[in-house]
Amino acid sequence: MYFLNRHTLLISGKGGVGRTAVAAAIGLASSRAKKRTLVLEISYEESSQSALGARFGRPNLNEEALPIDDYLAIGRLNAKVGHSLFLRTILPSKTLIAAALRSKAVHKFLTAAPSLHEMGIFYHLLTLIQKTRADGTRKYELIIIDMPATGHTLALTGLPAILLRLIPAGPIARALKDGQAILNNPDLSEAWIVTLPEKLPVTEALELVDGLTETDVTVGGMILNRMPPDPFTEDERAVLDAYCETGHFFGQLTLARIRAAKVAMSDLKNRFDAPVLTLPEVVDTDLMTNPLQSHISELMGAES
Amino acid sequence: MNPIQDLIRTRKVIVCCGAGGVGKTTTSAALGLAAASVGKSVLVVTIDPSKRLAEALGVDRNPERPIPVDIDGLIDKKSEGSLSAWMLDPQLIADRVVERFSGSNRDASTLMNNPIYQNVTAMVAGMQEYTAVQALYEFIHDDRYDLIILDTPPSRDALRFLDAPERASAFLDRRIFNLFVPGEGSAIRRMTTKLLEKVMDVSFGPDTRRELQQFFQLFGGLLSHLNHNQAEMRRFFGGEDVSFLLVTAPTSAALEETQFFSRRATGELDLDVAGVILNRSLTHCRGWTMPIPGFHEGQDRVLSAAILKLRQFSLREQEMMEGHLQLKGELAALSGDKGWVFTLPHLGPDASTLDGLSAIAHYMADDENDQYEK
Repeated sequence: MYFLNRHTLLISGKGGVGRTAVAAAIGLASSRAKKRTLVLEISYEESSQSALGARFGRPNLNEEALPIDDYLAIGRLNAKVGHSLFLRTILPSKTLIAAALRSKAVHKFLTAAPSLHEMGIFYHLLTLIQKTRADGTRKYELIIIDMPATGHTLALTGLPAILLRLIPAGPIARALKDGQAILNNPDLSEAWIVTLPEKLPVTEALELVDGLTETDVTVGGMILNRMPPDPFTEDERAVLDAYCETGHFFGQLTLARIRAAKVAMSDLKNRFDAPVLTLPEVVDTDLMTNPLQSHISELMGAES
Repeated sequence: MNPIQDLIRTRKVIVCCGAGGVGKTTTSAALGLAAASVGKSVLVVTIDPSKRLAEALGVDRNPERPIPVDIDGLIDKKSEGSLSAWMLDPQLIADRVVERFSGSNRDASTLMNNPIYQNVTAMVAGMQEYTAVQALYEFIHDDRYDLIILDTPPSRDALRFLDAPERASAFLDRRIFNLFVPGEGSAIRRMTTKLLEKVMDVSFGPDTRRELQQFFQLFGGLLSHLNHNQAEMRRFFGGEDVSFLLVTAPTSAALEETQFFSRRATGELDLDVAGVILNRSLTHCRGWTMPIPGFHEGQDRVLSAAILKLRQFSLREQEMMEGHLQLKGELAALSGDKGWVFTLPHLGPDASTLDGLSAIAHYMADDENDQYEK
């Protein structure tokens, strides 16, 4: 079984590979399996539109958790929210909290100083992971994070190690260690890398595996998205290739792409020592009837 | 002469902007090759985290200085042109700035040993863009190169590079720096500093707080030099030797992106946006044939069946080509009187090999076909 037996899934991969669609689809599939699921994206600019929210008809999503149905919620991680949550827990007096939250200098410091932006996002995530219900059980059984582009992802997953070198003690250090205990524990957290069946995306995905591994995040596997279908028999392929030699024909680019996709897939499977799941090319829609979801539900039931 | 040929012959600096994943680095390298083949001494500067282009060009990643690329056999022997590439390391540039502008050698070495400083280029948003401009600054008065092509750092959107100096300056603003350094000032200043110290002490502990203050104090001293360079660069970017190119790909966001970019670059920042490169397009497929089953006499049954199956793909490619042609027209309409759109074909994974770069460079030199539109 894939995905369901973890607490947090980091869905990463470079821009344009369909990361948000896959994260949303895993969230839908998990909620239909009756797991309390929260899908999160990271907002780097507060005013920007939500790519995740847009898939659920809420492009202006700005809450930390907006319920979609009984089992599914979507939300945005935001550095500013994380900072104020943090200041509230560490500052000894209410007056000081109020002064700190009001101070433009504190705000500027938090947005501008090295790593503190990531720290805010990290802390916001941590509070959501640690949320419980009245009976003490976890509020969200599965939290799926649509991670940002590679550089930002590694800045975030590498944050605890870097900051703990700089800040070995105190409440920030404690929060970082709490986060590490969850995100760096392979039984609780996994990263899944979304990529495309093409040469460069595969190479870049393998580089991302190395980067994530360096930051002590376990990579559960890869999701090879938009695998083109191949309807041709070997004989048909051979005559088509010969035919295309005789001129320029519409369709020849797709033939080349199907071939390249197969090469990229076998190359990936040779070079990567964890599950590679394949998702077909689907017409992408913003609707709840996410066609990827049924494929992912199938994969979830598959033996891992 | 096509507009790219005109550009590489007349400009001293070309800045390639664009969102991540559109082939900006490959396009920059191909532009460099195209310029070298008309006799220019070209430097391509890129902050590229991936090693593929470095491998293709046969240069190291993050070397101390630009490295000549072996382009024999790719360009006409009679041409005097040369191509150098510099995959630059932001930390290296930051270190050079520190060495050059610190008050004393002791200050420089204290700062370089400060743990906050050692992580600063990795941690500060906009720092890569900032260092790219610093690196360029080193070369604008250097007559070794006729043309410098700056490939801007990868980012989610094309505007990022234009906005980065402001973003970085939120961090690199001296007034903000001063707040963290205890010292003189009004009662309000002192109170603010005290509040910050309190927040930092409970957050980080006093040791880290002192390291932070040391960093702010020493790095803050360099800011006037950095800001001077940036201000000079901004003037330089606005000059007639410099042009900006927007590299984009045929996606649904391309039109909107181009609109925003042109408005911000030409309208607000007064930069010369020479044109748009529509990369990875199928516009070159104009004139291709639609395969028809049974079209040739004696076509065998296997081939007919295969062509029938191919048909859905053929129709889709034709449809995409038409879409790209339309997009090209719309982009051209957006780019005003002087602007142009130049389309480059989708070469797939071959694009970032030397042969691929050479193929794109040839495309850029081609005056015959109708790949650009004014």
